[in-house]
Amino acid sequence: MNLPVEVLIALLVWGTLVGVDLVSLPQMMIARPIVAGAVAGAILGDIPTGLRLGVVFELMQYDILPVGAVRYPEYGPATVAAVATAHSSAGVLGLGLGALVGLVTGLAGGLTINVLRRVNSRVVHNAAAALESGNPRALLRVHAGGLLRDAARAALVTAFGLLLAWLARPLLAGALTVRGALLLAVATVAAAIAAGSAGTLRLVGKGPNLVWFAAGLGGGLLVVAGVAWLR
Amino acid sequence: MKVSLARALLRLFAVQGSYNYERLLGVGVGVAEEPLLRDLADGKYRPAVARGAHFFNAHPYLIGLAVGAAARAEHDGASPDQVERLREALCGPLGSVGDRLVWAGWLPFLSALTLAAVALGGGWIAVVSFLIVYNIGHVALRWWALKAGWTHGARVSVALHHPVLLKATATLGPAMALAVGFALPITAQYLAAPFGSWTRLALALAAVVAFLMLRVFGDRLNGLRFALGLSALALIAGWIWP
Amino acid sequence: MTLALYRIDDRLIHGQVVVGWGQPLNVSFIVLVDDEVRSSDWEQDLYRMGVPPSIEVRFASVEEAAQALPAWEADPRVGILLVADIDTAVALAERAPQVRRLNIGGVHHRTGRTERLRFVYLTDDEARKLRALAARGVDVTAQDVPTARPVPVGEFT
Repeated sequence: MNLPVEVLIALLVWGTLVGVDLVSLPQMMIARPIVAGAVAGAILGDIPTGLRLGVVFELMQYDILPVGAVRYPEYGPATVAAVATAHSSAGVLGLGLGALVGLVTGLAGGLTINVLRRVNSRVVHNAAAALESGNPRALLRVHAGGLLRDAARAALVTAFGLLLAWLARPLLAGALTVRGALLLAVATVAAAIAAGSAGTLRLVGKGPNLVWFAAGLGGGLLVVAGVAWLR
Repeated sequence: MKVSLARALLRLFAVQGSYNYERLLGVGVGVAEEPLLRDLADGKYRPAVARGAHFFNAHPYLIGLAVGAAARAEHDGASPDQVERLREALCGPLGSVGDRLVWAGWLPFLSALTLAAVALGGGWIAVVSFLIVYNIGHVALRWWALKAGWTHGARVSVALHHPVLLKATATLGPAMALAVGFALPITAQYLAAPFGSWTRLALALAAVVAFLMLRVFGDRLNGLRFALGLSALALIAGWIWP
Repeated sequence: MTLALYRIDDRLIHGQVVVGWGQPLNVSFIVLVDDEVRSSDWEQDLYRMGVPPSIEVRFASVEEAAQALPAWEADPRVGILLVADIDTAVALAERAPQVRRLNIGGVHHRTGRTERLRFVYLTDDEARKLRALAARGVDVTAQDVPTARPVPVGEFT
């Protein structure tokens, strides 16, 4: 990856906004991989790559059960890093390498979210006396601290992802044969399709919605057949 | 009061900003409620602020209901115990309604439509449309929740009987299921497009095996771990079979 | 089927229960055992709002639950039983031998409680009561959502 400094900075800023959006502010869903990826692609002047990696990680996102305070990987900044990786290698090689960088970054992002929540717990615990006194300034300070830490966290995760993107080519692309690159792309795309299917089925459940799911699946398959026939 | 409500609404957008395991969203809820408590009598303001920041968790978009209702109850002179009881009773139902309405409804419904649209060549326009439509619902829900909570106070369950809310929750479950079912094959076709015909067969096979493994070992195997494991296998295979 | 889950969760009915467990288990009814909620109409109304129309909610005091448990266990549909705190769970287990498994889904911070797991905060007394239950043969584990690993009681008390 050889990118001009201003593009790198734009990606870093975008990844940070995306990371903060997921939980802290304002949850407008720019953290969704399909959005994070499309804009990262636009920054790089390569929207198709942004969309493709965005779709891969949007599917991965369905694997996350969206309820309660459960632990999960973070795919927003990960998608930004994945798009940066894929942009610098053509075709299927880029797809596989990008997805791999995104997966590792997503894992790291999820870990940092847990660490941040632990740090926040300690801060809140230590501020208990001030909070119990109803001091509004103490309250705002604790809250703003959490927000700032999340921004720092998101920036760090994005920077880590971009570092991986920069390392991926010299470290892996050189060692990868054509077949190896193809296998990597097959593995990641297959995993994304499987994770998306398993995740949505879990969301749909076994109740009456399953019939609607089946109906949708039938319609989707018809469209697929139609598109194949047109080609 | 208009200004205070607007201020509370703005703060609600960051309600999860200090997410922690001890009070979960409590501190953020207290921060959002504080503007609505400022005109309480001197001796009442600080205890109310302290209560506002106690443990709380619910769906972030619906938390305005709890913020508004608790602030209204404080103004109506409810006892500390009554306010605490109200907050405790609101956590679960607001979480459940919001999770079904948004996380298992509105969001995956629109996300799936966007996936299908991108796969069929909709490009960035599909993504921008997603952001606009999603956030019309998002912002409307946050604003309605805060206003309804502030209007109804302790009788906030009345607000949850709102016909639009009931209708939306009942409709979005099936709509989401229909949309994700529709999007999956179209998205798979789009992702398979850059591969050659033999590789496409391998891809389909790998996806089916992976899907079955995730279904069977789902409790120990999440999508991320599985994808990383599969990538490692692919790297090793590519290395020994050049 | 039967009651698929006996759960301690201080938020009672929320997303983890309705979406997290309810969807994969295909739950048809939820029994909420709590003496205070049993006698409070507005709280019952709130909790009813938290579940989709396809799921029936029943409210019971500990006494009523102990009486009705055999009937619920014989119900052909799948159900979840919820209590909000450890004392209620212990009281129910003492009156009803049907309680052989106990899932701790969420007990949160309060003064006097210390962190045992991310979603489990207990006083020493509560931890002792859980261990006593386990010693009497009840299978006590902590697990917030079905995709997480069930943590046996010995690892967190």
